[in-house]
Amino acid sequence: MLTLPVRCQRVSCQLLASSSTSPLVQTRSYATQPKKGQIVKQASQGFKGKKNTPPGQMESAKKDKKMMAFQPLPVSQLPHPLFESDRPDSLTLQSFHPEMLTRVVESQALKFPHNDNDPFRIFGLPRNILVEFRLLSKPCSVIRSVTIDAINKLDAASEKNSKESRVVFTGPQGCGKSFLLLQALQYCNARDWLVLYIPRATNLVNSTTAHTYDMRTRTYLQPIFAYQTLQRFLKVNTPRLEQLRTQTGIEIERRHPVPPGTPLVELINIGLKDQGHAPTVLDAVLEEIGKQTIFPVLLAVDDFQALYCKSHYRDQHFSAIKSYHLSMPRLLLEYASGRKSFARGAVFGALSMSNTTFPLPVELREALSLEYDRPYGQYVKRQQELVEYAHGLERLAVPSSLSVSEAASVFEVWMKDRAVPSKPNDELFLTKYSEASGNARAFVWKGLLSSMSA
Amino acid sequence: MLTSVLRRPQGLSKFYSSQTRPFVPPASLNSFDFRQRQREKPRPTTPTFYTARPEFYDQLSSLESALQYAKTALTTCHLLPLPQFAREALPPRVNAWVDKRELGLKLRSTLTTSRYRRVVLVLNELETYRSIAEKAGIMELQEGIRGITELFERADAATMLARGKAKPVKLDEYGRSYTLGKRKTSSARVWIVPVQQPPVDKSTASQSIPAVTEADSALTALLNPNSSSKSNEAVSVAQILVNNTPLSTYFPIPADRARVIHPIKLAGLLGAYNIFAIVRGGGTSGQSGALAHGIAKGLVAHEPSATTILRKAKLLRRDPRMVERKKPGLAKARKRYAWVKR
Repeated sequence: MLTLPVRCQRVSCQLLASSSTSPLVQTRSYATQPKKGQIVKQASQGFKGKKNTPPGQMESAKKDKKMMAFQPLPVSQLPHPLFESDRPDSLTLQSFHPEMLTRVVESQALKFPHNDNDPFRIFGLPRNILVEFRLLSKPCSVIRSVTIDAINKLDAASEKNSKESRVVFTGPQGCGKSFLLLQALQYCNARDWLVLYIPRATNLVNSTTAHTYDMRTRTYLQPIFAYQTLQRFLKVNTPRLEQLRTQTGIEIERRHPVPPGTPLVELINIGLKDQGHAPTVLDAVLEEIGKQTIFPVLLAVDDFQALYCKSHYRDQHFSAIKSYHLSMPRLLLEYASGRKSFARGAVFGALSMSNTTFPLPVELREALSLEYDRPYGQYVKRQQELVEYAHGLERLAVPSSLSVSEAASVFEVWMKDRAVPSKPNDELFLTKYSEASGNARAFVWKGLLSSMSA
Repeated sequence: MLTSVLRRPQGLSKFYSSQTRPFVPPASLNSFDFRQRQREKPRPTTPTFYTARPEFYDQLSSLESALQYAKTALTTCHLLPLPQFAREALPPRVNAWVDKRELGLKLRSTLTTSRYRRVVLVLNELETYRSIAEKAGIMELQEGIRGITELFERADAATMLARGKAKPVKLDEYGRSYTLGKRKTSSARVWIVPVQQPPVDKSTASQSIPAVTEADSALTALLNPNSSSKSNEAVSVAQILVNNTPLSTYFPIPADRARVIHPIKLAGLLGAYNIFAIVRGGGTSGQSGALAHGIAKGLVAHEPSATTILRKAKLLRRDPRMVERKKPGLAKARKRYAWVKR
């Protein structure tokens, strides 16, 4: 059983001998998040040797415990008449149903369905969208013309190999790329695809999760992240995965090989039982679902550009570890570049232009033929590996400004949710729309929600 | 004249003479050929001959006679003497007469200041009578006086009079206005053009129907405020480009954006005009203030009815506040050094 030390604000590097995993597991414990409520202070180690640490806890690789802001109070705690808790909810939206997504419903707001195994709830959300959904009474989004374009692409991709449908959403900051990815994800989930969603790819490369060097693959494995991914993938796609079986035998280290014909759910459970096996199992699972043609597969990655940047991990020489030397980013890069593919499905990515720690690298910029923000000549080094990983990516440009009808729907949603502090009239709408030049994030956050006017 | 003197002494109506004169029988003078002696000097044409500057006084007298004529004309029309309230009601006129040298050339004599002033006094009076005639509507008199006064007006009288006043902003052949706005050390050059409405491509058959549904939808919207009914009217939105970038990209701070939009919002012209601006100098708030100033002036050029509200909001005024200089003995403009008791 892999044991993980849990510390608080002390850098400690422990070498642990574990029987089930590779002999040397190097963990940077400052990088892992402490479990809530159990902050163990470390006394000086001295010559006492290995301490008894609590058994390995589930690392919350994807749940952001710091987002305690914007937690809305429950209605029962708002008895004052000023809060108007008894007023009926005026936000009546139709449900996001794949059949109704045609040009007719363009610039209409639809609410996302509320399921137990909803991909949002299980996989998590990008930070901005999480905060927004906490403020809104129900998670919803506006269908734009670019949504219909993306959905048409998905419909076309469901019959083809994922090599031919590797799409990246581009556009300036705040134009709605992450939201578009969410809409694509919900569409695919409703259409009975197998979905794998990575809401914050920055968490793969910003050294918040444990990494261990693996001699066999000669890469750094990220067992905890792989474990979490398997867990969530299984939870969201259980009814579909139960119908699938492995087609070839799979070899897992320190274990007898998994015979062909094993249900995929069983294969996944092997990875869930032992975190050390998780990366291998994840690789195998994705390969198996890539061979089958019953269900198309969607691999959706937000903060896509983080996969192409140098990670924040350091090796023993204190040089930054390349992203393709880490198991999870490497896996995603291989599917994004077409080296591995799904028989039916697509790989969708959304760039994040507002992240300054992981800015858009030049290789990806050139592959997507985006404009340069600074002069890049031929003397700027482009890493050949990243150029190859970025080869063949298709660009879907999200329009930088909302159209008037789309903005009107967004305005209506926030107005009916009684979230606009100013008087919601057409003058406010036009003022904020002009101030934001149509940009969605600027319109909502810096426009509608930030200002008070008579 | 000599013969008349000899024949009949002038002025003598008396029969007695105070002065003895030799008696010359008239018949003896018949043989003399008294030709009119040629004058060495011609008889002066004007009475001003004997003055130092005849041309000047000629012109002056003609001006004064014109003035007198105008005065009598207005008096007959009972417009003179004008009561105080009427005189105050006349538009105040600042006159731009030619300068002393030019006037001297016109009057063909060099002028001293006192003579120049005298002419200008007359011209001012003429101008006053002209304005009275204009106000009263007596166009012939007004045109007559104008014919005289325009001879003495400066060529660039319009520019002289408009000195210190704001130049009226003209729209060019595409309907764009070009204005300048300033704040602190920033300057903004602003071009404003009306948003072009897309041509309505509905068929004529459906033209009449929307008119009915619009009224219906407006009525239902009034009666049921909670119901949402979207009309199919196209909403025009304004595009604002600052240094060729959209407004939200150039000004990330919401306060700066609001400052730029404020004049458009007050004038009620949101979505009506597209704006292109080049701003230079200063920092963000200075640039946004300069842009707001330029936009306000441009909007007034397109919609003069917005002048009142923009003036009330002090948006047409160039904010005179600038960075105050540092003074000696002080750490900054106002900040004093720490006071030490000893």
